[in-house]
Amino acid sequence: MISFRNVKKSFGPKSVLKGVSFDVQDGEVFFIIGASGVGKSVLIKHLIGLLYPDDGEIYLDGEEVSRFDEARMYPVRKKCAMVFQHSTLFDSMSCIENVMLPLKKHKGMTDKEARADALQRLTQVHMREFADRFPSELGDGMRKRVAIARALTLDPSYVLFDEPTTSLDPVSARRVDHLIRELSDTVGVTSIVVSHDLVSIFSIADRIVMLYQGQVKLLGTKADFRSTPDPIIQQFINGRAEGPMET
Amino acid sequence: MSAASSADPAPSPGLLHGLGEGLLEMAQTAGGMTLLLFKVLSRLLRLQFDRQELMRNLYKMGVKSIPIVIVTSLFTGGIMVIQAAPIVKRYAAQGLLGWAAGFGTLREIGPLLTALMLSGRVGANNTAELGTMVVTEQIDALRALAIDPIGFLITPRVIAFVTTLFLATLYADALALFGAAYAGYGLLDVEPRVFYNGLTSGLLTLSDVGVGLVKSVVFGIVMSLASCHYGLSVQGGAPGVGRAVNATVVASAAGIFVLDYFVSFSL
Repeated sequence: MISFRNVKKSFGPKSVLKGVSFDVQDGEVFFIIGASGVGKSVLIKHLIGLLYPDDGEIYLDGEEVSRFDEARMYPVRKKCAMVFQHSTLFDSMSCIENVMLPLKKHKGMTDKEARADALQRLTQVHMREFADRFPSELGDGMRKRVAIARALTLDPSYVLFDEPTTSLDPVSARRVDHLIRELSDTVGVTSIVVSHDLVSIFSIADRIVMLYQGQVKLLGTKADFRSTPDPIIQQFINGRAEGPMET
Repeated sequence: MSAASSADPAPSPGLLHGLGEGLLEMAQTAGGMTLLLFKVLSRLLRLQFDRQELMRNLYKMGVKSIPIVIVTSLFTGGIMVIQAAPIVKRYAAQGLLGWAAGFGTLREIGPLLTALMLSGRVGANNTAELGTMVVTEQIDALRALAIDPIGFLITPRVIAFVTTLFLATLYADALALFGAAYAGYGLLDVEPRVFYNGLTSGLLTLSDVGVGLVKSVVFGIVMSLASCHYGLSVQGGAPGVGRAVNATVVASAAGIFVLDYFVSFSL
């Protein structure tokens, strides 16, 4: 289980997170939604030590991880993988080398073993035929699928997805949704998904938290979000330009 | 009154302000590079660096620099002879040409020019590559995969840079002397055998070669740390990468000359 407790974060004079608290249960697909710049990506980066909170605590499986130094963070990062918004594949390596890297580094595999394992993982995300291509030769959706394959190499218990369907065509986006849901249903992976994609949110989420002005606006199921009379939430989930929401 | 003063434009920063800001920036860079050096040394001593990255960087920095080092070194040797020609002719000191070219090349010109060349070719490229990785979150992606960026990216680059500069200086010295010998033959009718005798007459010792090689190692350490430090400190997207590359080239060139002075003075 992951718990955020009163997490606060400022960048200079701008206060982004003003005391965010919620829990994520094991095995669920949990969405974090909210307007651009509200601190969704900032929040998940705190979990794996890419950012540190000014105040508050973050617990991973009962252990307070928000004050861990870089060396103590490594086991946390092996348990908790992240797929970045822009895929962040290493440009100097081919797709398969990107996937092989963590296998060789952390599982002690030889080149041959890592290649065989990576090919299998690329097959799972329908990228086997592009294994030897470089990231610059691929489209956004393809890069995203390779990034997902790379993130899953260490068999993490938790995966953080930062806007996994942004800039993808609808078909690629639904394939990514399907992959995230399947991870939860078949392997029991807990997924935390930062997203604006309403189709994704209302098709695969188990629970959703909405951040607004640095705080939790609502935490609940899809039904809770659909039924709430809150005008700000209704404006957001219906994608209306006019309304009380401040961005 | 108060309304009028609040409307006044803010005074522009004075000379002292600018000077202080510049000094603070220099201190920050020196501190950042020193911290990076300690981090690199800790990985190096524990052998926690990526061998494949080291080989890739040795190829990229070393092997790919060979053509430019060959061309510049050969011509540098020739230029030294052209500059020495009037004096050599006036005093009929053909026998000293080998010594003069060797002394200047081995102690000064070889390491200095090789370092300046690699600063532009390798240092700038290194900063641009690391800076782009920072901007596109590839460094964060490495950390998220529980891979130490210092051990994986930086330490191999520092080792490769220092090794490349050391070896490049060694063969640049040899090529410059080769160029000088044949320029001397072409311009001053000094037989290569006479040139060689001048080199080995005892006026030049192994310590002259050593001084140049010590310089190449010192330059290599500072240039690699500067290029990695500026690359990792990039802020502000593509313009930030451009500024970092510029800063690397300027800092490396300035650093090379300042260090050259101190190493020449102490050895």
